[in-house]
Amino acid sequence: MRLTALLSMAARVVIPKDYRFGTNRPWTAAAKRLNPPGKKRRKVFVEPMAAEDWSVLRGDTVEILAGKDKGKQGKVIQVFRHRNWVMLEGLNTHHRYIGKGVDSRGTYIASEAPILLRDVALIDPSDRKPADVQWKFTEEGERVRVSLRTGRIIPKPVVQRRDGIVQEQWKDGPKDTSPEDTLAKTYVPSLKTLEEEVMETLGIQENRRHRRSY
Amino acid sequence: MNINLILGIFILKGWDWVGREKSPLAALSWRSPSSSVAPCRALHTTISRRGLDEFFDLPENWGETTVKSGAPWTAKQLRTKSNEDLHKLWYVLLKEKNLLLTLEQEAKRQRVPMSSPERIRKVERSMIRLETVVNERESALRMLQTGQEKARPGAWRRDKFGHVYWYRFKEYAIPWYMNRRYKRKSFFTPKFVQPHIRLRLEKYLRQRARKTSLERRTQSKLKEKFPHANISAS
Repeated sequence: MRLTALLSMAARVVIPKDYRFGTNRPWTAAAKRLNPPGKKRRKVFVEPMAAEDWSVLRGDTVEILAGKDKGKQGKVIQVFRHRNWVMLEGLNTHHRYIGKGVDSRGTYIASEAPILLRDVALIDPSDRKPADVQWKFTEEGERVRVSLRTGRIIPKPVVQRRDGIVQEQWKDGPKDTSPEDTLAKTYVPSLKTLEEEVMETLGIQENRRHRRSY
Repeated sequence: MNINLILGIFILKGWDWVGREKSPLAALSWRSPSSSVAPCRALHTTISRRGLDEFFDLPENWGETTVKSGAPWTAKQLRTKSNEDLHKLWYVLLKEKNLLLTLEQEAKRQRVPMSSPERIRKVERSMIRLETVVNERESALRMLQTGQEKARPGAWRRDKFGHVYWYRFKEYAIPWYMNRRYKRKSFFTPKFVQPHIRLRLEKYLRQRARKTSLERRTQSKLKEKFPHANISAS
């Protein structure tokens, strides 16, 4: 047990309290290069926002209100809630070399930088202009985003799952349990433990009695 | 049952166990090599006896890079199943886990990436949830019948460093006064440890004070930078 604990300690990444979280996950090589142990950076103050007020979701089309690509519209690829960031596809980019070798400069690619939520606005689908959005309830009781200017409901974006499964086209494999079997209720509450019930079904008779233990 | 709900659910696990015969003794008489010794029972209780083939996947999945698999069992679904079904499902999951671990080891040996390693996590999660459900049922029964919250008895004891902790009793064949190894354990704090306890307490109080002052400073800084935002959000 001690050896496995030691090995898992080496595998798990320790992040200090004042770690500055960037766009890279802490266990990746890029993050380790930017935040080596012992490096202290100035603390970032993130505007406090309630989790239920977050209106920009992955797959939404939004418009940038400030910065280099002001006025452009793009699709949201990634959202970082803890820093109030959104990453748009192909917008707010800077160019850098990737896969640099000793003799080659590597490939010159455009990499996106995150944008603050404050500099981004959801687009109203009716007139395709940026609009302020609030969460409201419909008559059915569904919670939806409503644009304050026109009053139109902004639908939730349909995003592809990361494992590529489309729910409507799913077919069970040979090892999958069918939905009917899974939802079938077979539990009958009784005053017997699992062991007693199984012994009864299998016809096991335990005649031995416990010896006195201390 | 809502049709959308059925289409929306895709679930893993179970070699069609619900439709199997529930009585193992019927299978026992005509399948297993019956030995004439009376209390001997065969290991298998199902019809499927593929032997070592059970450690390997279906032949059509050999060499694939990705194998399709459904979602793991949730605790809510497992709670609707009877104890017998849970017992059978545990062994189905265990065999599937052995299959996947064999696959993982062979992939390591051949220096090839394993196909769909997330299947092992799904099986592990299903097994953990199953155990949770079984423990819940047992705990409820125990509370009802005896009023005891914990299955394993214990006591609050003090260790050599002054920490008070919940010591869980171990089952021995001999009483404690005859147990030499147990007698070498000391559940009291010697007098010379008192200064260390005081220093540790001071350290803890200092850390706590630092944490509260840090929180106060961050809140005031946030209010200064974002005066319009409501501060108590996380």
